[in-house]
Amino acid sequence: MSTTVLAPPAPRSGQTDPPAASPTSPASRRTRSRRRRSWLAFALLAGPNVLLLLVFVYRPLLESLYLSTLQWNLGSPVARFIGLGNYREWFTSPDTAQVLLATGVFTVVTVGGSLVLGLGLALALDRKLPGRAVARTVAFAPYVLSGFAVGILWLFIFDPRYGLMSTLLQAVGMSSPQWYTEPPWPLVMIIVVYVWKNLGYVALIYLAGLQAIPQDVRDAAALDGATSARTLRSIVLPLLTPTTFFLLVTMLLSSLQSFDIIQAMTKGGPLGSTTTLMYQIYEEGFVNGRAGYASAGATILFVLLLAVTAVQLRFVERKVHYA
Amino acid sequence: MSQRSPIRRRTRTAVPAALAAAATLALAACAGPSVGAEPDADASETAAAGTDWSQVTPASEITWWSNHPGASQEVEKELIRRFNEEHPEITVNLVTAGAGYDEIAQRFQAASQTDELPDLVISSDVWWFRYHLNDQIMPLDDVFEYLEVDTEDFNPALYSDYEYEGSHWAAPYARSTPLFYYNKDMWAAAGLPDRGPTTWQELEEWSEALRPQVPADGAPLGLATGPSWSAWWFMNMLWGQGGQYSDGWEMTLDTPEALAAGDFLHELFHEKKVATVSKDSNADFAAGVIASTVGSTGSLTGILESATFEVGTAYLPDGPEGSGTPTGGTGLAIPSSRTPEQQLAAAMFLAFITDTDNTAYFSQNTGYMPVRTSAVESDAMKAVYEQTPQFRTAVDQLADKARSQDWVRVFVPSADQILTDAIEEIVLKGTDPETAFGSVTPKVETAYRENVEPYL
Repeated sequence: MSTTVLAPPAPRSGQTDPPAASPTSPASRRTRSRRRRSWLAFALLAGPNVLLLLVFVYRPLLESLYLSTLQWNLGSPVARFIGLGNYREWFTSPDTAQVLLATGVFTVVTVGGSLVLGLGLALALDRKLPGRAVARTVAFAPYVLSGFAVGILWLFIFDPRYGLMSTLLQAVGMSSPQWYTEPPWPLVMIIVVYVWKNLGYVALIYLAGLQAIPQDVRDAAALDGATSARTLRSIVLPLLTPTTFFLLVTMLLSSLQSFDIIQAMTKGGPLGSTTTLMYQIYEEGFVNGRAGYASAGATILFVLLLAVTAVQLRFVERKVHYA
Repeated sequence: MSQRSPIRRRTRTAVPAALAAAATLALAACAGPSVGAEPDADASETAAAGTDWSQVTPASEITWWSNHPGASQEVEKELIRRFNEEHPEITVNLVTAGAGYDEIAQRFQAASQTDELPDLVISSDVWWFRYHLNDQIMPLDDVFEYLEVDTEDFNPALYSDYEYEGSHWAAPYARSTPLFYYNKDMWAAAGLPDRGPTTWQELEEWSEALRPQVPADGAPLGLATGPSWSAWWFMNMLWGQGGQYSDGWEMTLDTPEALAAGDFLHELFHEKKVATVSKDSNADFAAGVIASTVGSTGSLTGILESATFEVGTAYLPDGPEGSGTPTGGTGLAIPSSRTPEQQLAAAMFLAFITDTDNTAYFSQNTGYMPVRTSAVESDAMKAVYEQTPQFRTAVDQLADKARSQDWVRVFVPSADQILTDAIEEIVLKGTDPETAFGSVTPKVETAYRENVEPYL
């Protein structure tokens, strides 16, 4: 290719010029080479990313799909093809209802709680108060901590005998629930920790959303005599819907994939009460060594995530007011 | 219009190209296990049996994957240093391959399709058999015979734990049993003799005297639940009633003996309230919330350090129909896919660190039991027992009461978790044993049928 570009054939005498409309005309050649250059630039820029995606996202995806049709002990050199057997087992297993319930409750409460409390925190921080910068930093800090470390620390706090939570509850005359051993308290415990960890992130995004609301809209509402509650309901919340939508999508995806805090605090127990779909995949795959069954679970989670996102884009986004 | 055509053409060719790429990826994905082939359990056996070790020169470098059981990283480094004094020609790389037995196992399983394997790997009681089923480890008998390792001197219960169909698939390394710990101060205040209860019945009788010694939310006995734990200590109660989880591969949780053990557990926690659930029974014991507990011998050093009172150790109590303490902890295995040179070097190192002096050294510094009979009687260990008699209880119990675990718990993947669920049903929810055990048997049988039987 490069040689033809560098050394164009010398025009020979007596040769007729090509017709103007021919694709080899100088103008068309320029367009083509320009287009080729931009295609090359695109390929150069996008290529490495596409390649990485293919190798590290789509290949494992396909591989996992394939593994889900096998009965395979992780580590074994041999496996047996069983078609949809793993899926059949998952859908008929008595454990599935409990896993789905735990996943559903965990996701809905974690996402809902994070959004509501994060919005409240953002509204509180969106004022010109002294020490606001410090308060924002403090609120955001949990989000950057390692989930595993957070889990271990909260285990101490929740300890029914010596924990801070037990001391606080005793101060108001209540006794501590058995956070570790008595369902549904372990699930409640996990949810509290996840909400706490996500709060700063949600508040930060909401804060950015709040500060993007033009002051003159609020001023106009104030001039019309709107109370602050009314302003919140009719002005602020609707104008925050793009932020809420963004948070809803990202938080749902991340909570459905939560693993670290569950592993650190309960390992899915007791009695499977904190085994979410994500945790079940890990447990079946790496603890029980059932790589095929775990892959089937991973495929089901993938489809679930895809469906949740699609539903949100299709129905929830309609309610979003883009300013 | 004509200007768009090249792009279109490209789009058109891009689609089949992408599909072809996807197909290639899908095919590449097939490079996992071989599908449809009959599992061949004898493959590694014949391979290893075929090695003439006298013709093999040991490799100059080997890798050891460990989780340093009992915080033993420095101890393990010292073992390597000692080995290099005798064998400077073999370098041993100690790799921290996980924080616990399960993490090591996960990494080992995941690496099984690659070359990134160690030459020596931690193989805990619930994992080594799975490695064997997957043909991942080699039998040690031949190479130990060639190296003239005195296998007769290994504690028989500990060495035979790794025996299946006439071959030994690992050697004992950091081995433990459950032990009964009691608070001597509380025992004295309650007017009880300075010893552990001989039978569970005796502990029940003593519990009235012990109750005033513990806080209102405490109990005479505290037991922790959870995976890799409760199904281990419960074996002692099962055996005490004459039951077991399984007889060979046959589940026996529906027998009257097993159900009696379930009833006993139920009464211990609910009717008689002798026991309470502890999240961390060692911590609760050290804090004086419970008067006694069942803990691993591997926790002995930690418990002695954290308790502010005198700690007593005793055998696990007997039941009306029998007794026994299950063995546990970890051994070390040699992967079957390494070269004979690497395997020989690994076996030399393994033999060295489990010899009399070194198992004694490891035991003194961790609290795990010496794996050789000669080490128990060595001067070094005698000095330890003299100074801390609690250590002696563990080895005496091992000699008097040790019994290999019921097969299903250690050999069937996921069985430990299923059994744990049943025990937690009884302990945490108060479910009656017949119901709790009833759901276990079919689940374990399915796990056996799918994940063990085809590979035997």
